[in-house]
Amino acid sequence: MIAEWIGGGLVRILTLVKLTVDISQLKYESSGEPLIDIATRKMGDSDKCAVEEAIRLKEKYNAHTVVVTIGSTLDHERIIRDAYAMGIDEGYMVEVDGYENLQAITIGEIIKSIVEMTGPYDLIILGAGSLDTHSYTLGPIIASKIGVPVIAGVDSLNYIDGYFEARCIMEDGTYIYRSKPPLIVTVTTEANEPRIPTLKTILKSKKMEIKRLKIESLNVKPEKIDLADLKRYVIQRKNIIWDASEDLEKVIDNLFKLLVSEV
Amino acid sequence: MDFEFSEDEVRFRESVREFCKRYIEPRWVEIDEKGRIPVDLIKKMGEQGLFTIPISEEYGGMGGTITMTAIAAEEIAYHDPSVATAVYTLLNNGWPLLVERYSNEDVKKEILPKVAAGEAFYGIASTESHGGSDVAGIKTTAVKKNGAWILNGEKTYISGIREIQELPEGGGYFLVAKTGKPEYGHRNITAFNLIVKWNGKIRHGWKPTIFEEIGRRGISTGGFILENFEIEDKYRIGEENKGFYYLMEGFNVARILVAAATIGSGRWALDQAIEWVKTRRLFEGRPLASFQGVSFKLSELYGELEAAKLLTYRAAWLADKIYIEKNPKWKEKDLNIPVALCKMKAPEATTKIYEELMKWYGAYAYTKDCNAFRGWLGTFSYTIGAEGAQNIMRIIIARDLVGREYVKG
Repeated sequence: MIAEWIGGGLVRILTLVKLTVDISQLKYESSGEPLIDIATRKMGDSDKCAVEEAIRLKEKYNAHTVVVTIGSTLDHERIIRDAYAMGIDEGYMVEVDGYENLQAITIGEIIKSIVEMTGPYDLIILGAGSLDTHSYTLGPIIASKIGVPVIAGVDSLNYIDGYFEARCIMEDGTYIYRSKPPLIVTVTTEANEPRIPTLKTILKSKKMEIKRLKIESLNVKPEKIDLADLKRYVIQRKNIIWDASEDLEKVIDNLFKLLVSEV
Repeated sequence: MDFEFSEDEVRFRESVREFCKRYIEPRWVEIDEKGRIPVDLIKKMGEQGLFTIPISEEYGGMGGTITMTAIAAEEIAYHDPSVATAVYTLLNNGWPLLVERYSNEDVKKEILPKVAAGEAFYGIASTESHGGSDVAGIKTTAVKKNGAWILNGEKTYISGIREIQELPEGGGYFLVAKTGKPEYGHRNITAFNLIVKWNGKIRHGWKPTIFEEIGRRGISTGGFILENFEIEDKYRIGEENKGFYYLMEGFNVARILVAAATIGSGRWALDQAIEWVKTRRLFEGRPLASFQGVSFKLSELYGELEAAKLLTYRAAWLADKIYIEKNPKWKEKDLNIPVALCKMKAPEATTKIYEELMKWYGAYAYTKDCNAFRGWLGTFSYTIGAEGAQNIMRIIIARDLVGREYVKG
């Protein structure tokens, strides 16, 4: 059940957000191994663009915006509050064990169930690689589950005369897609520059309710893929040192060749 | 005992950090080189809610705390280690707090929302040419005439002179002037909202000048002469002849924020130092950090900065209890030592880090290609004076430790 889009009226937008490691604050062992276990978590970058896009539409079209995340740790609570501080109106956390390894299809079923429970929605907007173990498939999976069109990898979204216009930049050119609501859109990090919460909105977000949904209440059987092994990227310096005091040109040439060889 | 920041404080710090990475860090060298914080950046900072953080929402403030303001000053200074942007921020947070606490209701509503929005500047004007530390000895006078005040005198080493002239709205100062007989000392000083430019118009009787400074160049410093400058009585701050006490209250907050700003700059310098001593190799390829002469010093500097940080946030926590929560368990005099300690320790710890960083860099540090000197000169200003000279801090501490009768200043 998806609502009809009514220009200027109250419309409903659903966004999805996931936890990622905040690379900018990552610390490393002296061996170069990243300390993932103690790393700060944050909302994914493309999810943040999806939230921003939802809020911009809310500001233009008086929409009601809802955010969902899968998982119920303190970090999950925090990214819901961050979405609130940006301007989202209502948030849900889905309580499920082992949320990290859920299959994208299971996530799709969870979202379908949430749409049935909390919808209808005119637009579902999510980051291009959101909540789907980087498979970039969640948008299309949700679309197939609930039977609405999807436009993926969008970097610009507008609503004009009853239609969404979405721009996607591909290798062979720039595509402009047009579709009536209801619609599912996945956005890239090029879509916008997400707003930064202010102190006022941070303090306000703390008082907002976060609703919790148990996986059992959604009638979804979690399917997982076991993670057998994970080799993190190790950041190490090359420790190549050239003495530039005698022949600077030669050192520059060496550096140039090295950089070219690594491209 | 709890040494953790609250969730709100952590999230606020992250939001300030994100703002700084996006809008301040890419411009800080340009700000220092050109000697000005661009007006568009000031406006953006206002939109982000970085001014009037501890002021009530009722007056356009953010409804935060002094601790949160210290967090903002620290983060901003990390991303502009010259501390100019942080100093601009802390002035427009600390001194407006006195407007909220002691000004006329109409005046609060007139001034504070424009400072919050970054459209107007609000700083402090107390120092005079014969010496900033001797506040009781100021010579600027305010004489009541037909229900208004006529001010005459001169103030010097005042921040924000150019910014007031460049901002669309203007701004002004928390100013102190003599209003009674000279023999009454500090008990004949009254505080005023000296609004020198408002609605874009400079007021009659204000003659400003701008100095050329060696560091912290992004925010202007100068002075002004007041010639028969007229102020309506409604712009008086608090009671007549109580200005000295309001000023000391303002200094309590400003000193905490200055300490926080120098800590932010010190953190930046320490990060540069750690990166350098790990990567710089000498004497058969040994990293600098492998020499104990370097690593021991690094540990000491880190310890001094951490100590200064603890002193600063302890003072901020206490200031919140007294000024924001108005908790009767603590009195204002309880802030004497904590505030003086953090203002004494933080700038000194930070300038020591810069001095060692520049020595570890070697000759490179003595060129303008290396930006360490910008942080060094910026934070050094707070070991000279600004919000109270270092030896005044020592006098305050000693007075409380051994008694006023032994410490005459």
